[in-house]
Amino acid sequence: MSPATNPNNLATSDDLLVVEDLTTTFNTPRGPLTAVGGVSFRLGRNETLGVVGESGSGKTVLSRTIMGLQPRSNVEVGGSVLLDGHQIVDATDDDLRGIWGTTVAMIFQDPMTSLNPVTKIGKQIGESLRVRLGMSKDEAKARAIELLTLVGIPSPEERYEAYPTQLSGGMRQRVMIAIALACNPTLLLADEPTTGLDVTIQAQILNLLDELQLKMKMSVILVTHDLGVVATRTDRIIVMYAGRVVEMGLTKDVFKNHRMPYTRALLESTPRVSNPSHTRLQTIPGRPPNLLKLTQGCAFAPRCNRATARCTEETPALEPTGTEGHYFACWNPIDSQDEKVTNGGQSTKEFGEDNVRN
Amino acid sequence: MSGTNSEVVLSVKELEVTFRKGRQRVSAVAGISFDIYEGETLGLVGESGCGKSTTGRALMQIVPSTGGQIFVDGAELTSLNKKESRSLRRKMQMIFQDPISSLNPRRRVKDIIAEPLDCWKSAKGAERDAIVFDLLNKVGIDPGVYGNRYARQFSGGQCQRISIARSLAMRPRLLICDEVVSALDVSIQAQILNLLEDLKKEYGLTMLFIAHDLAVVKNISDRVAVMYLGKLCEIGPSDSLYAQPAHPYTSFLLGAALEADPELEQNRATLGGEPPSPLNPPSGCRFRTRCPYATEKCAAEEPQLRDIGSGHQVACHFPLVGSDQ
Repeated sequence: MSPATNPNNLATSDDLLVVEDLTTTFNTPRGPLTAVGGVSFRLGRNETLGVVGESGSGKTVLSRTIMGLQPRSNVEVGGSVLLDGHQIVDATDDDLRGIWGTTVAMIFQDPMTSLNPVTKIGKQIGESLRVRLGMSKDEAKARAIELLTLVGIPSPEERYEAYPTQLSGGMRQRVMIAIALACNPTLLLADEPTTGLDVTIQAQILNLLDELQLKMKMSVILVTHDLGVVATRTDRIIVMYAGRVVEMGLTKDVFKNHRMPYTRALLESTPRVSNPSHTRLQTIPGRPPNLLKLTQGCAFAPRCNRATARCTEETPALEPTGTEGHYFACWNPIDSQDEKVTNGGQSTKEFGEDNVRN
Repeated sequence: MSGTNSEVVLSVKELEVTFRKGRQRVSAVAGISFDIYEGETLGLVGESGCGKSTTGRALMQIVPSTGGQIFVDGAELTSLNKKESRSLRRKMQMIFQDPISSLNPRRRVKDIIAEPLDCWKSAKGAERDAIVFDLLNKVGIDPGVYGNRYARQFSGGQCQRISIARSLAMRPRLLICDEVVSALDVSIQAQILNLLEDLKKEYGLTMLFIAHDLAVVKNISDRVAVMYLGKLCEIGPSDSLYAQPAHPYTSFLLGAALEADPELEQNRATLGGEPPSPLNPPSGCRFRTRCPYATEKCAAEEPQLRDIGSGHQVACHFPLVGSDQ
């Protein structure tokens, strides 16, 4: 059932990250809220995995749980996160401190609130070098300047002395990347790294991440709501809805041969530069469910035009499509042979053949 | 200029907005001119800090313009006194980016929507209620169920619907939308964009749609204007401007936009650097510091908007298309 145990899964035994049946539940005054509900996936080395979903789909909570950043009080984490041999779920603070920075690092969405406004950026980059790698002040400074150069900040010696407020949004995000990469992590979690940046700056940052991933041999989990970003920068994608994985597979398979109606709806409601102006957008009626009031069955059922009685009674599990590594959770999946994505205007035929078996 | 012979609703001539910062001056909008025709949607795109929002605000006179003229249905807005200008601005309404903070959290939805009517004393009692009821229905919010609720009880998408309903209460000619969908999720964004298209038809609106998202702007606009550092680079019909950008900046901007299609060849030629400070803009063409095609002429002489055929205008000495026309 779980894709992680399925022999068809693309990732190999040499996986960097194995997440099994991960659940994150917040105890809120209004009852338990399951933000991540039974997520399983694997991530290979040097692979880039995209996690897509709308706000409230649990993608940020998922990445924070993988990182071990969830506070202990009022949060219950179940399942397993095995990162390079380390179990994150029940790790102590000391264990986590040994992993953070060197094995896993994170880039957060908002570089302004993630950086300390009253500390020079050079010191913020050097901090983990001194604490984790035990470098001396001078060594840390030299390495910090090296890192500033690596992330493409002009005149790094001068910038070393700058405060975050003196930098533009794009430059601050570069500093965030430099901090994350300081101790050569093997896994980089990037949570909406380019949201809020202009398109030309976004392109610069994404190209930089690509380049650094190759250079430093990292795996990357790219969490974003932007389908354009995942389409172009990931090997595989996980589509999340209401805390669950509803579809997962190679990026091209998910875009071309998605089986889950939500994935299609998401793709069809995205305006595209390649479509003529005034193209009518397909919309998803209603809005994402309240996670406090999740009921039995598929969470997308109330908004889904293919929903049947079964959808509200039984929760669909991830099923393989027949294409390697491609899974979906739906009782009434889209048959990729018959129906085509209308918004993109491209035929799905060429990939359709291997998909119709189940 | 435009293929249609319809009436000009908004005509902007050499609009300037200069802010003072101590002894320095920031020219946020440095002389831009454009017309919007009746029933048309003009998209205004550009990166942050290019002056697109300031342009929208200056049109509404939320920030005072420091130069140039704004004609609304032929009447010049900037030369009017306060009372006359206020009256003229009934024809224009604006919707803002953050739907939640643009609604008063302590007022009921029906009162928020009726506020313009109360302000102008244009409808009272049953008539007022009927207008509010109708507007809420039009934007897809059930007035019977939600009319008495407070704005804080709604999601972002619903708040944006309420903002739209409020902006339509005075039956404006011109609607200025400033980044109205950028805070919303894709599925909600599509709903709002479709709603705007429907309401535009129904109410015969003319729109200025300000946004940074190129795909969104193309979807909703008939014509698109591209702004960089307070100046217009290019203006033209959406489809032809996106297919054949004439200004190098437009071309880079389009190249940087990521299409949600993994099979599509992505343009990796990114624009280096960042926009220069508007405190100290470059001489000549403002884009020349980042432009790979810049020459001495670009530094010496400021390019003016000129026609390159079929309603397409560009401000560049060496446009990528139509240079011989």
